Amino acid sequence: MTFAPRVLPFGERALLVELTDVFDETAIGWARAIADAWEAAHLGRAIPAYASVVLTFDAETVAPEQAERDAAKLLAAGPDIAWAIPGRARSPDIVEIPTRYDGPDLAEVAERSRLSIDELIALHSGRTYTAYFVGFLPGFAYCGRLDPRIVAPRLDRPRERVPAGAVAVADGQTAVYPSPSPGGWRLVGSTDVAMFDPSAARPTRIRAGDHVRFVPA
Amino acid sequence: MIHIVVAGFSATVQDVGREGHLREGVPRSGPADPVAFRAACSLVGNTDRDAAIEIAGLPFAFRCDDARIVAVTGREVSVVARDRLPAWTAVFVRAGDVVRVGGTPRTRYAYVAVSGGIASEEILGSRSAYPRAGLGRTLRAGDAIALGTARRGAEDAGGHVPFEYGGDIAAVAGPHHDRFDAAAQDAFFASPFTVAPESDRQGVRLEGPAIAPRPGEILTCGVVSGAVQVPRGGQPIVLLADHQTTGGYPIVATVIAADLGRVAQRAPGETLRFYRVERDEALERGRALARSLSSA
Repeated sequence: MTFAPRVLPFGERALLVELTDVFDETAIGWARAIADAWEAAHLGRAIPAYASVVLTFDAETVAPEQAERDAAKLLAAGPDIAWAIPGRARSPDIVEIPTRYDGPDLAEVAERSRLSIDELIALHSGRTYTAYFVGFLPGFAYCGRLDPRIVAPRLDRPRERVPAGAVAVADGQTAVYPSPSPGGWRLVGSTDVAMFDPSAARPTRIRAGDHVRFVPA
Repeated sequence: MIHIVVAGFSATVQDVGREGHLREGVPRSGPADPVAFRAACSLVGNTDRDAAIEIAGLPFAFRCDDARIVAVTGREVSVVARDRLPAWTAVFVRAGDVVRVGGTPRTRYAYVAVSGGIASEEILGSRSAYPRAGLGRTLRAGDAIALGTARRGAEDAGGHVPFEYGGDIAAVAGPHHDRFDAAAQDAFFASPFTVAPESDRQGVRLEGPAIAPRPGEILTCGVVSGAVQVPRGGQPIVLLADHQTTGGYPIVATVIAADLGRVAQRAPGETLRFYRVERDEALERGRALARSLSSA
């Protein structure tokens, strides 16, 4: 059965636009494009994720039915809307993350994937990833896709504390923990690059849409 | 300047929140109890763009270098300067007088607004503190923070806003209500839940009948304050100001803005019950609340 994109109420001051219910790289770009268009038109704030985007609106001045019509209009433009947003198109940066492959789960992930440690490092550092979106923590960029030979389900029991700079993999994706946090991803390496710096003009090292490479250091 | 004399367990500067960096994973923050915050701002002539102090864990005490109109709000808060002063009321405080804010074991969050606003440094477009990510810090005794130019004087003292924290909690169904069968939805909207001690500015954790979602994962999606997430164990979490920008659990319902403060101020061990409203009623409740706050 195919999923029909839809606009759902999310409380009385936001909408949830669902594009599909499965992981799909086209949907990720589409969600981001809808978010860009919503914010460019000053309709409110937007939070894109894998296959959906939350759109907020000012309930004191905008009726939810009007916000729904605005959202439906953006949705009707289809995935090609990405090309139709004047001034919003940003060519992705290429972000290099110097990485020491010294994570506590490195050997276990290699074994699980039936790879040698060197092969695992070569596969992880041998690709250019796309940053899908930033969430969970300030500056935590969900990047993919991992080489399918890397087998790394989330931990059954998340760690209580993952250090800042931990390079991690889980379920076909990779990311860097920007700050110490509980976490359920498997840790394969570490970096000294600051992923989030509130005093910087651009606080997050990786922005959604950027291309990311891990360079063995 | 305002001087912090007794800092409480965790006091932070909060304004309406930081919404310009949600897409970088930076939580909105802002007040855990938006109703008490807005009431305090309104009573002293500030807008909700101005910052106030939120205190979790009383007592708290402060003094100002010059005479100011001040308002203290929150659940079951008490105020003493030279004499006992009314809460939820614009009061005139003389230069140098120490103002002490107390509460009861049921007080979760108290707010101190000073006419002119707390003029702390803005970070990423907001004064709201989010210490976890290095955005501001909790206040300490001895801190001195600049104040904005007072907007009201002694003649404006006396304004009062009535607010009652009791009652059930209105919520709009969804957005993921179709991930829950009818029995689970009915159980959510009919059962009493108990507030768990792990509740904080990220969310109020509830214990009660398991509200199990249908099997199957959902893809992580953006979330807003008031969203009631249901993790696998079936024990709901109502998201508050410091919630993560995205979440991977289905959302059975979303608490209306006018009732979010009632959820935030419910103390561990107290019960809470939800009832379902449609969006129009949620908006009408929001407008009625705004009218009562602006009458100050």
